[in-house]
Amino acid sequence: MEYIGEHLLPGEVGRFSVSLAFAAAIVALIAYYLNSKSEDKRYQKTARIAFLAHAAGVFGIVLSLFYLLLSHYFEYDYVWKHSSLDLEKRFVFSAFWEGQEGSFILWLFWHAVLGLILMFSARKWENHAMMVFSAVQAFLASMVLGIFPFGIKIGSSPFILMRQTEDNLGLPWTQVADYLERFPAFMDGSGLNPLLQNYWMTIHPPTLFLGFASTLVPFAFAVGALLKGDLKSWIKPAMPWAFFSVGILGLGILMGGAWAYEALSFGGFWAWDPVENSSLVPWIIMVGAAHLLLIYRNKKTGLRAAFFMSILSFILILYSTFLTRSGVLGDSSVHAFVDLGLSGQLLIYLLFFTLGALGLMVWRYRQFPKEADGDDLSSREFWMFIGSLVLLISAFQIIFSTSIPVINQLVGPDGWIPLMKDEMAPPLDAIEHYNSWQLPFALVIALLMAIGQYLRYGKTSSKVFWRGISLALALTLVITGLFAQLYDFWRDPLYLSLLFAGFFAAISNLWFWLVVGKRKINFAGSSVAHFGFALILVGALISNARKDVISQSKVFLGEGLPANENALMDQGDTVEMGRYMAVFEQMETRKDKQFYQVSYFDQSGANEASFALEPFLQMSEEMGPTPNPDTKHFWNRDIYTHVTYSSYLEPVSPDGFVNEAEVKLNKGDTAIYRNHFVILDSLSVNALFNEETGDLKAAKLTAHLRVVNPMAQEFPIEPAYIIEGEMKEHRDTILDLQQMKFRFDDVDLESKKIVLKAWTKQEEDVKPFIVQKAIIFPMINILWIGCIVMVIGSFIAVWQRIVQGRS
Amino acid sequence: MKRTHIAIIVFIAIAIGAIMVTINDASTYVGFAQAEDQIGTKYTVIGYLDKEAPMDYNPRANRFTFTAIDKAGNKQKVFYNQPKPQDFERSEEITMKGFATDSAFVAEEILMKCPSKYNEQNEMAGYDTY
Repeated sequence: MEYIGEHLLPGEVGRFSVSLAFAAAIVALIAYYLNSKSEDKRYQKTARIAFLAHAAGVFGIVLSLFYLLLSHYFEYDYVWKHSSLDLEKRFVFSAFWEGQEGSFILWLFWHAVLGLILMFSARKWENHAMMVFSAVQAFLASMVLGIFPFGIKIGSSPFILMRQTEDNLGLPWTQVADYLERFPAFMDGSGLNPLLQNYWMTIHPPTLFLGFASTLVPFAFAVGALLKGDLKSWIKPAMPWAFFSVGILGLGILMGGAWAYEALSFGGFWAWDPVENSSLVPWIIMVGAAHLLLIYRNKKTGLRAAFFMSILSFILILYSTFLTRSGVLGDSSVHAFVDLGLSGQLLIYLLFFTLGALGLMVWRYRQFPKEADGDDLSSREFWMFIGSLVLLISAFQIIFSTSIPVINQLVGPDGWIPLMKDEMAPPLDAIEHYNSWQLPFALVIALLMAIGQYLRYGKTSSKVFWRGISLALALTLVITGLFAQLYDFWRDPLYLSLLFAGFFAAISNLWFWLVVGKRKINFAGSSVAHFGFALILVGALISNARKDVISQSKVFLGEGLPANENALMDQGDTVEMGRYMAVFEQMETRKDKQFYQVSYFDQSGANEASFALEPFLQMSEEMGPTPNPDTKHFWNRDIYTHVTYSSYLEPVSPDGFVNEAEVKLNKGDTAIYRNHFVILDSLSVNALFNEETGDLKAAKLTAHLRVVNPMAQEFPIEPAYIIEGEMKEHRDTILDLQQMKFRFDDVDLESKKIVLKAWTKQEEDVKPFIVQKAIIFPMINILWIGCIVMVIGSFIAVWQRIVQGRS
Repeated sequence: MKRTHIAIIVFIAIAIGAIMVTINDASTYVGFAQAEDQIGTKYTVIGYLDKEAPMDYNPRANRFTFTAIDKAGNKQKVFYNQPKPQDFERSEEITMKGFATDSAFVAEEILMKCPSKYNEQNEMAGYDTY
């Protein structure tokens, strides 16, 4: 059968590109392997051409998918699901990576880019590192193959037509040749999730995926070194990449936090959600790995640990991918992907690289060189090593708690090996659970970051140590005291220590750059990055520990019940919120958004509003109303607000009658409705018969009722119920004065009563209202400044290592 | 023995501690009946929405009331001191974290599992999915 109106060519190009990318990666893998055995130049040439072909395939996939999305070819499943005609052009990127297939392609793309850079810059490491790259790419490309050999699903293709998807195959509409023209549903896509229609969705995923991709480079070097048997010389070329990964993955994660804070209504920038955790953990490990590489380069100790952490970071990226895409997190995360039936394939992928890399380490274990003792207590490397261990354990704690659904699958009651009687549920209060572990870890890390600056590699004399530390310590105590006073930290020893440690780390790193680094820019990387990280700790601590839900009700409903954190604001009424008096002014509809204008006045009784905010609800048929916060930024605090409900969302009946009530009445019965007696006096029936057959043609039942108000005034009403064959009709009575509507709704044959319904008119002067949540985050700007500073510092470190690598 | 080794052993001990505490911290999924045995204790209950029973959101009290049916089939009235979550009617499964009281289950946090977009094409083309 010929289908009408389909555009098959771009899809064919896309599918061919996937096959090319997949096959060429395998060819590159084999050629690099043969080259590593024989050092024959021809193999190297083949391998390079193959990898270039692979990269061309990947770029072909990307271009085809963009072409499909921009052309609105809704016969393609991916285009239909993730875009629509009215989608603005700038959101085409968001649509591209909204789905799983698209995000796999994004990942493939970054690997291909990094692989090309590595191919031409890795020199003697090209063979082994590119072997690892090619293997990873072959696996990844297979995730978008979308083929079914022997009934096994391999990958999910974004180039599949809607009529060819598993769900739709064999359905009647797929047999209609002109289905695209006949069914209106196919003329427009279902559109992009409105939550994702903002610029964050354009920049956050590509940055994060570049971060994910970047962890592959240290992994490729480490595994390449194990394959090659040259266990030492990979450290130097891998180092700038490790710092690059720390910087870019860190940036990606922080962008996610900023997005959540600016545009989503989670009420904060970090919620220890499994999806957030699973990108944080590889970053923590990569920070540890970068420091271990540094130790080895300077003191030639800790090689095994350097290998282990460099490998682990990428393995954890794979594990995260498995967690978020296999559907295993279903019950515990708000934003995990749906299962595409690829979990088996992902598991094979994960196990192959985990067992392969760790197996290689065990195989080479005896060849690791004997190392000099590097554990003098006054040496920098010892404490850096301890710091890396703390990072490892911190990452372990996070990933263990996040993996509870996986543990259930393995040893839960319905799991592989049923060891446990009950299924484990994730901790009830996730934030408290994670904080109780991660705050002490952060404290130790911050102290190590501070003290480490006064230590030298090898040995440090106590004179040098104390001379450096005393000034910084004094300064830290003053600043900590100041902030503790301002934000009332004296009563929380843990918070107070963390505040101290954070400032201590910041000041110590500043001192290190000024005094030891002699203010040279090419010495600044670590100091700047550490300074930024310390600010993040301080900012996160103050803004979270002292956050103030100013919309919180002061009335408790009952003991143990959570206090209401949302304030109800009638239009025009003044509501006290913390130090402000807030007024909901009006609602304004612009396109598909309802903007709620709220003015804030200082409590001193000022006439002029000190500021106004406009949180909005995005209305969409698919998602319902989606709240979008609005935040007022002051230099020392943010006021973050979002509307959780409003009167504009309440259902309105067309004629304005609401509050339906129903009663069954017999002759002579009395009902009470809104302070009125309603008495059924009698029923009358008018029947119309067919003149020829004598059958009942139509009947009109009229109820004669009296409505009596509290002043004993009587109002007779006669609602009627007409039955004509299958048709039923109501003649309602409206009492204008009382603003009531009555309907003779039905006859209950069982009890032989009539069913009477009544409504009252909605009061026209009902004031619109909103329910709003407002939170003050003090000093959150320290956090954001810290983020930017840390990322800048990481990139200075990359540059430093590249320069050092050349010299 | 090197100091590094001692440090590693200490950290392994912390790791084991973390596992034990997490297992203790972790709640278990229970039904309404079990939650009612321990009034006031926090539990995680998985169930689904009783679509026949009324749902009501009272903005003045900011309280959303609905009826859920747990996996064992027990019905329970649930209070949730937040506005009605988006797409609540369409949810296939509701995870409720909270505690039982004499009259109702008070949910402090609600997560929903919604059906994917995947069946929409058929619905929109006018065919049911069978």
